Amino acid sequence: MNEPILECIDVSYAYLDKFPALERVSMQVHAGEKLALLGANGSGKSTLLKVLDGLVFPQSGSFTAFGEPVTEESLEDEQMSQGFRSRVGFVFQNSDAQVFSPSVREEIAFGPLQMGMGRDETLTRIDEVLAMLDIAELADRAPFQLSGGQKKRVAIASVLVMNPEVLLFDEPTAALDPRTQEWLTGLIEDLSAAGKTIVHATHDLDVLDRIADRCLVFSEDHRIVAEGTPADIMGQRDLLLDVNLIHHHSRPFGTATTDPVTTA
Amino acid sequence: MTTLDTPRPPADEAPAPIAGKTPAWLLQGEMAMCPCGCIGKRKKGSFVEKTLDGSAGLLRQVMFGEDIAERPGLLQRIDPRAKLLSLIILLIAAAVVRNIVVLLVAYAFTLVVAYFSAVPVGFFIKRVWLFVPIFTGIVVLPATLSFITPGEIVIPLWTWQGQPVGITSQGLTAAGLIVSRVALSISLVVLLTLTTPWVELLAALRSLGVPKMFVLIVGMAYRYIFLLLGSVTDMYESRRARTVGAVKHDKAAREFVSSTAGALLGKSHALSEEVHQAMIARGFRGDVKALKTFAFTRADAFYMLVVVIAAAVIVLGDQQLGR
Amino acid sequence: MHIPDGYLSPATCIAGYAVAVPMIIIASKKVQETVKVRNVPTLAVLAAVAFLIMMFNVPIPDGTTAHAVGAVLIAILLGPWAAVIAVSVALLFQALLFGDGGVLVYGVNVTNMAIIMPFVGYAIYKLIAGDSHLTSPRRVVAAGVAGYVGLNVAALATAIELGIQPDLFHTADGTPLYAPYHLAQTIPAMMLAHLVVAGFVEGIICAGTVAYLQRANLPLLQVNHKDVPLTEAEAALRVKKRISPWLVGGIAVGIMVLLTPLGLLAPGGAFGEDAPDELPLGDLGLNAVPEGMARLNGFWNSAVLNGYDFGGDAPVLGYLISAVVGILIVGGFVVVLVWGINKVARKPAATDPSNTDDAAHADDAGSRTG
Ligand SMILES: Nc1ncnc2c1ncn2[C@@H]1O[C@H](COP(=O)(O)OP(=O)(O)OP(=O)(O)O)[C@@H](O)[C@H]1O
Ligand SMILES: [Mg+2]
Repeated sequence: MNEPILECIDVSYAYLDKFPALERVSMQVHAGEKLALLGANGSGKSTLLKVLDGLVFPQSGSFTAFGEPVTEESLEDEQMSQGFRSRVGFVFQNSDAQVFSPSVREEIAFGPLQMGMGRDETLTRIDEVLAMLDIAELADRAPFQLSGGQKKRVAIASVLVMNPEVLLFDEPTAALDPRTQEWLTGLIEDLSAAGKTIVHATHDLDVLDRIADRCLVFSEDHRIVAEGTPADIMGQRDLLLDVNLIHHHSRPFGTATTDPVTTA
Repeated sequence: MTTLDTPRPPADEAPAPIAGKTPAWLLQGEMAMCPCGCIGKRKKGSFVEKTLDGSAGLLRQVMFGEDIAERPGLLQRIDPRAKLLSLIILLIAAAVVRNIVVLLVAYAFTLVVAYFSAVPVGFFIKRVWLFVPIFTGIVVLPATLSFITPGEIVIPLWTWQGQPVGITSQGLTAAGLIVSRVALSISLVVLLTLTTPWVELLAALRSLGVPKMFVLIVGMAYRYIFLLLGSVTDMYESRRARTVGAVKHDKAAREFVSSTAGALLGKSHALSEEVHQAMIARGFRGDVKALKTFAFTRADAFYMLVVVIAAAVIVLGDQQLGR
Repeated sequence: MHIPDGYLSPATCIAGYAVAVPMIIIASKKVQETVKVRNVPTLAVLAAVAFLIMMFNVPIPDGTTAHAVGAVLIAILLGPWAAVIAVSVALLFQALLFGDGGVLVYGVNVTNMAIIMPFVGYAIYKLIAGDSHLTSPRRVVAAGVAGYVGLNVAALATAIELGIQPDLFHTADGTPLYAPYHLAQTIPAMMLAHLVVAGFVEGIICAGTVAYLQRANLPLLQVNHKDVPLTEAEAALRVKKRISPWLVGGIAVGIMVLLTPLGLLAPGGAFGEDAPDELPLGDLGLNAVPEGMARLNGFWNSAVLNGYDFGGDAPVLGYLISAVVGILIVGGFVVVLVWGINKVARKPAATDPSNTDDAAHADDAGSRTG
């Protein structure tokens, strides 16, 4: 395989030094792939994504992006930080935190302006991305006038407008209606087809094979315990039970056999 | 308000019984907590509820304002910077004036401007005068008495220790002055607020020299007021949903306020941490860059001119008329 | 406590901005230094919190309502400079979006609620909390008293600003041009409501929130209390120092003495017809108090002779008397309070530093006084 663009080696992280979130996690992200992070609530998916986006820094182990080590100090450097921030985009789990500007248009403009893009180019890009995500009519609304799904679209638009190479999504489909979920799944497929690298945390096992080429599975003690294609992982019912991703009453998944007894 | 990290079970999953650790009483329906089986009415109107009703009103009010700001109208066409500057000029003029007639004429003009700016005049009057009588009118009444404002007694009321007590002409004038000045000042501010989208008002503040950082904080605070308001409402609703029977209202409510304030602060702090991350994730390094730039048009220049002339007329007219 | 436009003379408004603008600028710098870029979201969210706290009107017995400001609470949690910004932003919303509090008087409102209040409250909190540990009930009491006193001092400042208006700004025949009530009326009216009711609301919110955070969210409390020992055992290891009630009282009095001439800073020659024109607006710093007062005294003597018919009851005398009485009352109150708390809370601690009664005593001192 080609060189990884993002790489974590033995990363550990604990919040406030006492709530562990990641335990010696090693993983790689390759250009152009779709990588899914699976795991029960609280297993560390969001934290790993924050490490990958240079928002929290490992207490031990290392994180390298595009061949450069990413640390608190290295991101102090203006050029390094600009380069990294424009190449990696992050759609947060909580859109309320992400959508912080007083209007949708300003929200989407925030990233490009911070990156030093000119006003006119920013404005044209905003219009294009608004059209692409089908939210042009929301442009001058305030975020508190938006529904959850609309806020999610705005959050995605605010990241896409910067045209990053790597897109990190934290549970993008959570709390969306089935139609919007389907739209988002399609969007991820399209972005991937356009050559973007995609890493996302998800609980949505039904469409896993559409939105992932490869999966990493977290155990509840914050370690990565398995890696494989969606079909691989979905086939290992014991593993999924073990990490509490599914429970005994769950119906077996799409590609697996229809008889739960034989799967187990 | 904020979405919790609950995993969504596959839609077609069979409903799993929450057996095992779940206490049995939770699995059964319960008729009523009250042992006598009586049906009680919920005591209505605690102050927390009123505040929360007020907060829904706040939201409505803000939305309504944004709505008016979008309509075509006289003031809507003016650059927000020009409007903000002229507000300040006119407020100063109003503050300097000492003649009630001048103040009332100026007030009449705000009504005309409101009419041409698609602001419903009835609503506009109500909005201003609902505030004025409560906070100014009533408070100011006793000031007309010779006790407080000594002078020429025009309406004698009684005598006290041999001195006549009554309403003085000075007192009446003073009361009239303050009521009309407050009404005019509030009308001016309300006109600006109603005809300017909030985002533009922020941008105008910025371009008039208010530090960008301060404006960014203002803009974000505006956005989070509504989010946190939602959290408070949720907290209150869930508390009320758990409260059975009559509670000693004020005490319980006060307790609610302090624990809510605590929870709210905790929540806000966590939220601000996350917002901070969301900002740096998109390249924020402490320097604010604004999208909106304004172009000062000829209409704006004309408007400013009119405002300056109006302010001059108010002040000069006041001096001419004396008092 | 929000003063609307129209109540204060332009001169007083200018004085308000003269205090508020530099303070806001210093506060932005201070906060920026201490927390780097993180301050932006934190302050934004806190400003929203301050706004919401001000929305919670608490009923008071006479049928009206009072509201807390939250300035002292924010000062305790994130430092007084953060409170300056947060409350200023909240006041800006109220002024611009809801017409609550004026635009011209914004500077004055900021001075009262976003500057005086958090600094006075924070100083009192620090002094009463002393070196007690973070989970100590003494900190709850300290927060309660700080909220109470902070709000009252802010109210006093408001009363003074309103009360000097009719004496400073009126026409030749004595018609007040702005707020018509004199200090002799504004101080009792404001202070009665605040000493008896509103102060307790703020105090209860401060104390309640600190107590809640001690139980439920210690990390948030630690943000502004980095070096404070968490538990009593840790605190016992450190040397205790005693708080002098006179120091606390002295500081409170000092602050109020500084406040007194606030509205007199700019006696506005242009606006009162009979104001002496040798009074310049600019060069009256805070340290010019006695001089300014003296000059005002002369000004009033002539004003009284020319404008008024009623004899010896010179307004400036009334002003001075009301101010001195107000300051003495609040100062004396603070001295007695701190003395009482010291006495009750420290006695057992002096014999045995790890005595748990410490806490209990501090608690009843609280229920008795604040
Ligand atoms: N701000 C925080 N302070 C303290 N602990 C935290 C914080 N954020 C997360 N944690 C802890 O870190 C662990 C990992 O959390 P993380 O958010 O990464 O989980 P997750 O896999 O994303 O879960 P979910 O599926 O619920 O989103 C959890 O045990 C959580 O309790
Ligand atoms: Mg998560």
